[in-house]
Amino acid sequence: MARVQLEHVTKRYDDQGDVVTAVDDMNLDIAHGEFICFVGPSGCGKSTTMETIAGLTIPTEGEIYIGDREVTNLPPKDRGIAMVFQNIALFPHMDVYDNISFGLRLRDYPQDEIDRRVERAADIVQLEGMLNRMPEEMSGGQRQRVAIARAIVREPDVFLMDEPLANLDAKLKVHMRTELQRLHKELDTTIIYVTHDQEEAMTLSDRIAVLDSGQLQQIDPPLTCYNEPDNLFVAGFIGSPSMNFVEGQVTENALETPNFDLEFNPSSIEGVGVGDSVTLGIRPEDIYPGELKSEVPDPSGMITAKADILEPMGDEIFAYLLLGEGETSMSQELATNDQLLMSIDPDSDLEEDDEIGVVIDRRNVHLFDSASGEAIVHDLIPYEAGSTAAGSEVETDD
Amino acid sequence: MATPTDTQEQPSDGPLQRWTQSAIQDPEKVYRALFYAAMVFFLVTTLFPFYWLVVLAVTPEGRLLSGSFLPTVDLFGVSGTFPLPVPKGFNPGAFVTVFEQVPFHLYMLNSFALAVTTTVIVLFVASLAGYVFGRLRFPGRALLMLGILAISYFPPAAFVIPLFQAFAGNAPITVPFTSIPLFTPPRLLNTPGSMVLPFSALFMPLSIFILTTFYGQIPDGLEDAARVEGTTRLGALFRVIMPLSAPGVATAAVLTFIAVYNEYFFSSIMATSPEAAKWSPIVGGILSYQTQYTTQFNLMAAASIVGVLPVVILVIVAQERIVSGLTSGALKE
Repeated sequence: MARVQLEHVTKRYDDQGDVVTAVDDMNLDIAHGEFICFVGPSGCGKSTTMETIAGLTIPTEGEIYIGDREVTNLPPKDRGIAMVFQNIALFPHMDVYDNISFGLRLRDYPQDEIDRRVERAADIVQLEGMLNRMPEEMSGGQRQRVAIARAIVREPDVFLMDEPLANLDAKLKVHMRTELQRLHKELDTTIIYVTHDQEEAMTLSDRIAVLDSGQLQQIDPPLTCYNEPDNLFVAGFIGSPSMNFVEGQVTENALETPNFDLEFNPSSIEGVGVGDSVTLGIRPEDIYPGELKSEVPDPSGMITAKADILEPMGDEIFAYLLLGEGETSMSQELATNDQLLMSIDPDSDLEEDDEIGVVIDRRNVHLFDSASGEAIVHDLIPYEAGSTAAGSEVETDD
Repeated sequence: MATPTDTQEQPSDGPLQRWTQSAIQDPEKVYRALFYAAMVFFLVTTLFPFYWLVVLAVTPEGRLLSGSFLPTVDLFGVSGTFPLPVPKGFNPGAFVTVFEQVPFHLYMLNSFALAVTTTVIVLFVASLAGYVFGRLRFPGRALLMLGILAISYFPPAAFVIPLFQAFAGNAPITVPFTSIPLFTPPRLLNTPGSMVLPFSALFMPLSIFILTTFYGQIPDGLEDAARVEGTTRLGALFRVIMPLSAPGVATAAVLTFIAVYNEYFFSSIMATSPEAAKWSPIVGGILSYQTQYTTQFNLMAAASIVGVLPVVILVIVAQERIVSGLTSGALKE
């Protein structure tokens, strides 16, 4: 059983006098057999966290447990882990067989055992007949499979994968992603996977750990992270394109934003008081054209906007809407008060610069505390206050 | 290339003119000509000494000092001096006499043993240092590296007297500027230790420098991979980093080997007399063909050729590695 636990793990670097905290008081409890993804933007500490688990970096503070053993200060070779690296890191001076069997030969396994295991690993990643090739003679995907075979041949307790698909082209990436899922099913070991690609994390993992500036923001199943983000960062990071954020003020019976008002009953929601500054979050797919208003269970009032830019994706069109007198915002600010991104039907005859009326599905509106960024609520219409939709299922997955 | 100048008077058709014209059209021609000129120059300056050694070696001893090595030739009535020295007689026996008069093979063995031992020590220690300087970050790294390189700035002669005193083992080593004794070293004169130790120290900085450059270029991921797979840091150095830096290791090894193999200054002092039993190297052997009253130049030349052969073979075998090692230092991947 290889449960992985991190307790108060902190890593600080001394960068010429400046102390940089790469990982800040990280607490994780990963169950045996779980597939966990660490996601976050560059420099969020996800790779450093993985390196502390691997033993390539010793944490400044905190303890790490793999299985029942404390491994905080053990060298990597004694931790029962195997790792797949972003740059693949095959040994260029060894052929595929030697690469895969490297770890076994170091541990003095008998030759027939080595042969048996290498053959099985090569079989799993479909590398039969390539054992005598040199890494330079192989394609990117084949090399990546050798790297994975090198990891599975040791039958480790924990797999660590540090952006293993980052250097592959888009098509191969999707293919390898499926292979990884199959592999996870076959091996039944704990896999910890680092990626900056939230899509990869969504599709692969049992739980996603979202990291930012060295701190754990949320660790939950993918759909929970998507539907009930704990804070503004998670809400903005998970989902592509990202959630719309609009800053507003709570009044007696509505949420007032610079360009539209959203009616709701503040007293029905815990944690919201009249006069509070909140940030409204709404995903592009939860904004509907005005003509579909009747199909939305709890629509907002009509919001008029101007279609600014249309991005046809084939199965849908992303429309950037301008509200009020707004200009197209190029700023990287989280909240774009004058702009909304919505997803519309590909058959729509909407054209750029057209006026359009849209409604927001109030059941899927997220409110965040503007100051702290913490989520307050993920649905503006609570059960008991809902007059029209009393008893209807709230759309969340657990 | 150089053509008679009298043709220049014909303005259109002189060969020089034609060559110049075509060279203007095709500048590559000029570069090629310059390349060949430079090649010939270097070949002559490097190969002529060897040719001269061969000429001396096969000339019988009695004729060495009489007459000229440049024979007069009479060609169809025009007589002149042949521009290249030619042996006066043919006596290949000198190459055998070399081993009969002195146990020259023992001197060669000495040099070989000293060179191999030094190379092994240098490669091992310089690998550790190269790993540290090339792959780890720590305060004072640049300063320490500079300090190591500074050793190679000193003329080796500066170390001879203190080292001789130490290796003589007569008096204890004292704390500098005081007379407080630290320890009395064993007597190392006339043993390999008295030569291998200073050689290793003297040739270490260059090897450290070369290996630092190479080891620093191996991607971190490969070392991490090796460590995760089950090696220690040292294991990763010797199993992954060193094999991948083979050109650099070969360069450092060959440079060290040749330098020690040809070394004379230290060994002539540390071996108190040029005897094979006292670990005198090749040059000591060559010099022993010179006695108080005679100097057997032909034997010295023959011995020099014999002594150089192992190095020639080594360089031919390793040249591809050395060349790529010397040039690929800065840019790799």
